Amino acid sequence: MTETLLEIDNLNVDYETARGDLKALRDISFDVGRGEIVGIVGESGCGKSTLISSILRLTAPNTRFRQGEIRFKGEDLLRLPERKMRDLRGADISIVFQDPMQTHNPVLSIGRQMVDIQHRSRASKAEKRELASQMLGAVGIPDPEARLDQFPHEFSGGMRQRIAIAMALMSEPDLLIADEPTTALDATLEVQIIERLKELQQKFHCAILFISHHLGVIAELCDRVVVMYAGAVVESGDVREIFHNPKHPYTRRLIECDPGHIKERARVLPTIPGEVPDLAELPDGCVFRERCNQAVHRCASEVPPLELLKGGHYAACWLNRVEVEV
Amino acid sequence: MEKSRSEFSQIIRGIARDPLGLMGLIIVGTIVVCAVLAVWIVPYDPIALNIKDRLQGPSTAHLLGTDQLGRDTFSRVIMGGQVALKVALPAVFGAMAIGLTLGMIAGYGPRWLDNLLMLLFDTIRSFPTVMFALAVVALVGPSLQTVVFVVMATSIPTYGRVARTQTLTLRNSEFILAERSMGASVARILGVHMLPNIVGVLAVLAAMDIPTVIALEAGLSFLGLGVKPPTPSWGALLKDGYALIRQTPWLVVGGGLPIILATLGFTFLGESLRDVVDPKLRKQR
Amino acid sequence: MIYFALRRFALALLILFVAVTAMFLMIRAVPGDPVQIMLGPRATPELQAKLTAELALNQPIWKQLAIFYGNLLTGDLGIDVFSGRSVTEIVFQQLPFTLELILASILWSASLGIALGAYAAAHPNTLIDRIAAALSVSFVAAPAFVVALLSLLVFAVHLQWFPAIGAGEGFWGRLNHLVLPAFAIGLSWVGYIARLVRASMLEVMGENHIRTARAFGLSERRVVMVYALRIAILPVVTVIGVGMGFLLSSAVFAEIVFARPGLGKLVIDSITTRNYPIVMGSVLISTGLFVVSTALADLVNAWLDPRARVQN
Repeated sequence: MTETLLEIDNLNVDYETARGDLKALRDISFDVGRGEIVGIVGESGCGKSTLISSILRLTAPNTRFRQGEIRFKGEDLLRLPERKMRDLRGADISIVFQDPMQTHNPVLSIGRQMVDIQHRSRASKAEKRELASQMLGAVGIPDPEARLDQFPHEFSGGMRQRIAIAMALMSEPDLLIADEPTTALDATLEVQIIERLKELQQKFHCAILFISHHLGVIAELCDRVVVMYAGAVVESGDVREIFHNPKHPYTRRLIECDPGHIKERARVLPTIPGEVPDLAELPDGCVFRERCNQAVHRCASEVPPLELLKGGHYAACWLNRVEVEV
Repeated sequence: MEKSRSEFSQIIRGIARDPLGLMGLIIVGTIVVCAVLAVWIVPYDPIALNIKDRLQGPSTAHLLGTDQLGRDTFSRVIMGGQVALKVALPAVFGAMAIGLTLGMIAGYGPRWLDNLLMLLFDTIRSFPTVMFALAVVALVGPSLQTVVFVVMATSIPTYGRVARTQTLTLRNSEFILAERSMGASVARILGVHMLPNIVGVLAVLAAMDIPTVIALEAGLSFLGLGVKPPTPSWGALLKDGYALIRQTPWLVVGGGLPIILATLGFTFLGESLRDVVDPKLRKQR
Repeated sequence: MIYFALRRFALALLILFVAVTAMFLMIRAVPGDPVQIMLGPRATPELQAKLTAELALNQPIWKQLAIFYGNLLTGDLGIDVFSGRSVTEIVFQQLPFTLELILASILWSASLGIALGAYAAAHPNTLIDRIAAALSVSFVAAPAFVVALLSLLVFAVHLQWFPAIGAGEGFWGRLNHLVLPAFAIGLSWVGYIARLVRASMLEVMGENHIRTARAFGLSERRVVMVYALRIAILPVVTVIGVGMGFLLSSAVFAEIVFARPGLGKLVIDSITTRNYPIVMGSVLISTGLFVVSTALADLVNAWLDPRARVQN
């Protein structure tokens, strides 16, 4: 087992709203080892975004950390003074955001932005520019030196996402958070970006927390996967294990619905019927019960705990208990 | 009728709920009441000379003192409000009506007409208002009518542009397309379907425009190019006050404060009206 | 970029052409003999004949217009009726005073307005934000000439902190004379610009690229002052460009109130003496100034905002 880099321990996060507290994250626990690639998968609204903004502590003002810790190299990020937290951002922890079209400042040149984010480095401006140019080359931007003087709108979406990756890796971070970096891109570009990310990960040896709602990409890239539903972890474990032997009905439905998994090109992609429950008024029992076609009595009254099944495979479903008991 | 009346009272209530709006409502209400009842309110004839009592400071007999000809400043301030509204209201409504018509023609008519009208609007707008006013006054001489005309001409483009934009947006909206496909006449489409949607926006604009107009009238009168001398206008008060600024401050104060109060009142009212009528506009600003 | 600039410029020229022609025709359309009106009681038969010939009034109207434009292209705006000096010369002698005043007004009000707006946006719903909002609504309403008169009364006549009349000599003298008129013209702009910047700042701060800048640990100061403000001030440039007509109007009044030389004073003096060539010349130059400044604002915007360069 490798050394642990990021440990999320029983994290509970609420949003204070006029309707009452919105339970955005409930009892989240998982960890990321050094150099490991961990995928987080779930539908939109499952708390993925809250989770990453909590790690970076770039949360909306109405966010309340109710319980739990986010330990990075053993230090609780939620207790860190703002100054120290800022020192980590973009240095030890970097992020690539979802929408490449809006991720860069539109009125500053790419070169200027790439030089600016090296604000901690003592290097001269020319050296910073040189590094920026090298990084652009490393992510596959042709003629990087000249393109430093161009503005974001002069690049295509795929190019902009590569630039975002170059910016994130420039400080050689220990942890790279990738928030659905390929969702806004078409399939060919997606493959290219994933390949590039894999290659760069080998080179820089950083851990990656890869968020996606696309299981195919996760399977391609990640070592381990965490499945989230309605603000809670429902299953986590080794990628192969989870794909071949899913232990939660939600994971099974996700795999069935994944476009990469469907052999014949269906005209209409299958989706999971029903909606994510209202996080302000959570139902009793299992949050997935309403949409689950295997629900039993117990699911309506008691919340299934996240239990270790075998060798690092966790799942939160009463059905697993039944199987064992029967 | 019943419906529009309740809508009106709803708007007034909406404005009164906002503290700034309430303040605007009170100020504007006071000015309008004073202007309407001016003849009964004024303690003295605003143009009666009384050389014996000239250039006095405030006293119980003369609340704001007297000017160089012994005329009561307070009476002139009250009557000046009447003059200000006499210029502002016809000018704003006239500009609104013409701007609305031209704007709708530009928005709904053929492309070349649209371009022509926009060029006309841009041209009028490109004359700095005061320069334009000065040029006209230089040519036809100062009078109340000239002021009304100048103010109207300079604000037509603002209304025209807004009316045009609204017409263009509505033109392609679904309900207008449906009407057209059912063979509704142009007059019906413009008059029945578009007009009510545009007037609201223009009314907000008009409320915001009135202070500009009042200031322009006062400004021209201050330069001696507005209403003719014995007529009591706030601008004329300032003109006298400017000439006598080293002798008495009361004329400048008496002419300046009502202008600031009036512009303040109408601006508050306009802002509040905008928020009530169209909350979307607030975000755009 | 060049195409964009050319198009702007062509439209500006067209507007200027229409405006000047309209002005020209308006003067000719005034009932009565313009020469008689201009000269008034000073009219003698020789003077009348001389002026008629000078202004080419005995020619048909289209020919007058052609002569007028011919002269205009060579920079000749005609001759002052009384002194016989070139109008171009007189107008351009006064223009710097007006430009100086407008520039000073917009400089102080824009810097204060931007600072206030940015501060209010960074600290929304605090006491200072509320005070700034209330002040800006109040100041927006204050007409420049009333503010000019009141500040003349308080700061020049009573407190005697600043001079009441003229434009002053030397750098410090001129600056000292600029304070009150620039204050009067700029006051209503402070609030207006502050509101504008606050609104656009709040919008920009919510955009994704600001989150990126923060995620890279840039200091909050740099995020606000550089990454957000660079975008938030764009509408200010446009507003100043379009507001040039308004600024010029305010400048006319400020020049009268503080007895400053400048275009405004020139026009008013010429109107009272019915000196039409000078009125015409000043109106033409100020209209040109307005048209040019609008076009200039577009160019500055294109320079500040790389996205604007690719439009059209």
